[in-house]
Amino acid sequence: MNKHPITLTINNQEYSITVAGHHTLLQVMRDQLDLTEVKYGCGRGECGACTVLVDDDNEKSGRKAIDACLALAATMDGKKLTTARGLGENGDLNAVQQAFVDESGIQCGFCTPGMVVKSTDLLEKNPKATEEEIRFGLEGNICRCTGYVKIVDSVKKAQKVMTKNKKKK
Amino acid sequence: MPSSRILPEFELLMPQSVEEAVKLLKKYKAKASVMAGGTDVVVSGTQGFATEAVISLAKVPGLDYVKFSKSGGLKIGALATLQMVADSADVKKNYPALYKSAAINGTPQTRNMGTVVGNVMRASPSGDCACALLALGAKIVFQGPNGKREISIDEFFIDYKKTARKADELAVEIKLPAPKTGVVSAFNRITRTTLDLSKINAAVCLTVSGGVCKSARIAMGAVAPKTIRLIDSEDLLKGQKISDAILDAISASVGSQISPIDDVRSTAEYRREVSPVLVRRTIEEAIG
Repeated sequence: MNKHPITLTINNQEYSITVAGHHTLLQVMRDQLDLTEVKYGCGRGECGACTVLVDDDNEKSGRKAIDACLALAATMDGKKLTTARGLGENGDLNAVQQAFVDESGIQCGFCTPGMVVKSTDLLEKNPKATEEEIRFGLEGNICRCTGYVKIVDSVKKAQKVMTKNKKKK
Repeated sequence: MPSSRILPEFELLMPQSVEEAVKLLKKYKAKASVMAGGTDVVVSGTQGFATEAVISLAKVPGLDYVKFSKSGGLKIGALATLQMVADSADVKKNYPALYKSAAINGTPQTRNMGTVVGNVMRASPSGDCACALLALGAKIVFQGPNGKREISIDEFFIDYKKTARKADELAVEIKLPAPKTGVVSAFNRITRTTLDLSKINAAVCLTVSGGVCKSARIAMGAVAPKTIRLIDSEDLLKGQKISDAILDAISASVGSQISPIDDVRSTAEYRREVSPVLVRRTIEEAIG
């Protein structure tokens, strides 16, 4: 009765599944689809560990970051989503992920999938983001290890690499 | 003990149109929660507030708009997110109080999900957009089984989480009057960290001409069971040249109009101390 057949495209792979009406996108991704890079942190939209990107219906605005714990899976029918696993091409790390490795922006790693997804989103929208803008953009992602300095350094490093790569092209 | 991981089971209804949504509301009445962005309904669920049914507006087309015209004012559809409103250059220019209340609301992620109309409908006394829209004199448009009904936001907040929305009505739009010469507004709030809900918030909308305040609306949140207007303070300000003496008098008038409580975010004592300061600063910010 309360079952909803839906189709989600996650990291360019299509999933046609049936979900319960009261199950969140996060629950479905982790428990039904085994996409365990999307983390459960607080379950109430405060920590950002479950951040994923969703392609906007309005193409001009590109993709936007949401908390998978606050979205009911059934309401996401037909959406295209990206998790940390799908940020790079062909399974490689993207510039943000590589910068987190190079700059030690990762300690325990639990917040990292959400951090790299949100950081990618913020640099896509604002390639010239200042430190203040980077910190504002990451307000919805909580890290309990790093004190954020290394995370901001990582985003700045990624920013440099992305600007360089763009110039090469 | 409810699990924060798993929502209590409910029936999820996904109407395809406003009419269908209203039909469902007529059938379920208060047994159904209306969900736009989900940032409140889902969190309530994880805190154990069970609801028989959730009516999601996700599949209802045509409600995700922020429209502005110089003569018609602002129209915000039920599915316009906080971020859409914060991103609107027209809102930032003409309704600074609303702009700020949306731009600092929650986190970047929740701003992409939560809606301005939802912030008002939830009728939490600490709602930031609710406070700004009360000061700005918004109108709320409901669609019910017998057609549309428009009310002033002044009539909307009745008591703690009690509103003038009838159980079979859907809020489809919030409207703001067209900008007029001399109308200024501002919003401020106090929080511990930026993503907290407000300990207190305040918004003002004034018409100023030659340094004299012609009309005033002053709203505060999280200092009473509902978002309130400070009518006595407004009366003190109306028709007066805005001076330090007037601002002192307004600060002194705030205390008798608020009834703050101790809760998880702050204490009554703190709220009582800081409210006059916040009101004064917000007036000063509005007149620039």
